Amino acid sequence: MPISPKLLSDLEQKRLTAYAAGGEDRLAERRKKGLLTARERLTALFEENTFMEWGLHAQHDCHQFGMEGKSMPGDGVITGVGYVDGRPVAAFSQDFTVGGGALGRIHSKKICDLMDYAQKSGIPLIGINDSGGARIQEGDDSLSGYGQVFFRNVELSGLVPQISVIAGPCAGGAAYSPALSDFLIMTQKNASMFICGPEVIKAATGQSTTMEEVGGAAAHATVSGNVHFLAENDTHALQIARKLLSFLPSNNVVDPPHRLTPVVDMSPDPELNQLVPGDPKAPFDVHDIIGRLVDEGDFLEVHRDFAKNLVVGFGRVQGVVAGFVANNPAQKAGALDIDASDKGARFIRFCNVFNIPIVTLVDVPGFLPGVAQERGGIIRHGAKMLFAYAASTVPKLTLIMRKAYGGAYLAMCSRDMGADIVYAWPSAEIAVMGAEGAVKVLFKREISAARDPKAREQELAAEYREKFASPYEAAAKAMITDIIEPAQTRGVLAMALRNTLSKRETRPPKKHGNIPL
Amino acid sequence: MMKKLRVTVDGKVYEVTVEILDEGVESGALPVAAHLAPAPVAAPVAPPAPALPATAPAAVAGAIKSPLAGKVMSVEVKPGQEVKEGQQVMTLEAMKMNTYVYAPKAGRVSTVQIKPGDAVEEGAVLMVIA
Repeated sequence: MPISPKLLSDLEQKRLTAYAAGGEDRLAERRKKGLLTARERLTALFEENTFMEWGLHAQHDCHQFGMEGKSMPGDGVITGVGYVDGRPVAAFSQDFTVGGGALGRIHSKKICDLMDYAQKSGIPLIGINDSGGARIQEGDDSLSGYGQVFFRNVELSGLVPQISVIAGPCAGGAAYSPALSDFLIMTQKNASMFICGPEVIKAATGQSTTMEEVGGAAAHATVSGNVHFLAENDTHALQIARKLLSFLPSNNVVDPPHRLTPVVDMSPDPELNQLVPGDPKAPFDVHDIIGRLVDEGDFLEVHRDFAKNLVVGFGRVQGVVAGFVANNPAQKAGALDIDASDKGARFIRFCNVFNIPIVTLVDVPGFLPGVAQERGGIIRHGAKMLFAYAASTVPKLTLIMRKAYGGAYLAMCSRDMGADIVYAWPSAEIAVMGAEGAVKVLFKREISAARDPKAREQELAAEYREKFASPYEAAAKAMITDIIEPAQTRGVLAMALRNTLSKRETRPPKKHGNIPL
Repeated sequence: MMKKLRVTVDGKVYEVTVEILDEGVESGALPVAAHLAPAPVAAPVAPPAPALPATAPAAVAGAIKSPLAGKVMSVEVKPGQEVKEGQQVMTLEAMKMNTYVYAPKAGRVSTVQIKPGDAVEEGAVLMVIA
């Protein structure tokens, strides 16, 4: 006897109801606003016909506050596993058309089950956030629901990459799940993220503000640094997620997807010689340098609009995936400050847990002076860079382009912070201090005794610069690996990266270090 | 600590940088704003910092703010001059490096708040392009 046709048609009916989510009207409304529906976002993320949905038939079980008998297809979230670039990826997509995408017990259970699976299977997790927040009707269950998700974000942290897309409201406690993940991508319209919104702030403190100012994508991408990528719309956000995944391993025990070229091309790139200004005072944009080092100029910048004085991001150098950390002399003289230190340290630690070699490009005059910096804690923030580099066991390659002064040079992965290879261009100035400052200390008596102290100081500074503000002193002491021409950089980096791919380093066992926070 | 405030007096908006000396009150509201309430805003709270003139009463829209603290090396434009988006309008020096400042959009320079040799703070208004 074949299976009863009624059973099959009932199943089909239930499926269609679930797919209709909050109803065709609500879905149409989303599309009219230029938004993708929750289901369409997953279609945009995954390869065609690879999405296996979990929990399509899940239902809430709340009986209070008018919830009895209320239908919430999928309980407001779509979860499952699909393929990106031929690799399985777990994803959840909150559905704003179903009860505002609010999180209740079953909604949370669906996400948590998916996260447990991602952990055990070693596959990345993508969360598409678009929710009114906790389902108040479910009270404690909603709160605990968030807690269970956060706990798993932390469990998964460092095991599999976690990427959050903020495609709608992400308010109050809900914002902490993305915050605990590795990367946040936020759309410029429709999305907002905040702990306390303008009304609450006004009621509690009297301060007037706008959603744009405290919760909008631009504020998070440029000022608060909560968001790593800005997307024009849903489709763009998912493109960014796919692009990001293309540089990352699926989990922490495999290598990133290197695509090694059969041969390392060592031919020089004369354009790099042209890009470095002859005048040490003149700035250049380090993006131009990075663009010529990475394959096809394809550099995925992370945190592009935040702390622009430090540039971080992913690229391949003749196939080897690398994380780049580079001072940008065109912004704040390339100095390190609080925001740049936070940005750099987080990126370095991400690369470390996911086996991504780190290439550091140095042109740093020091830490940014200022009362706000000092009182803001540049000491403990700057220390994060030192900690992150020193604690990393991935291959670390440093290239000193121009200035590398004092503590800021140490913080940019100097030899002593565990850099495996340190190259320097002939334009490098490696010194404990800039020439002017140094001679003031070293030749204090001689300068004050001179007939023209200012002139004598400048003379001595020039001599000091000639002798010490160059890579040759450091090279003489075997503190750096080699001095190379800018034009040679791409080939040399490619070869060096390839050589160190099998690097393994063991450290004394401990629970974890105590990074200054 | 230094705090930047946006203060509206008689409908006019001023951006001022103040140094808060009394750190006792640490509520969410800005107690300093209350002290500034009646008229002459800039006067009672202006610290004797040479940089202040560049940060005091400025139009909010079109203002180009200094990206970092430094010294003005050169100013390439004059009030009344038309500028293109991305045009270099001045050079700052900080940490022995030149930082170029560019016009964020096309327009006409309405006021120039600084001259070569001036020391400016991060966020100080350098010029206004309307």
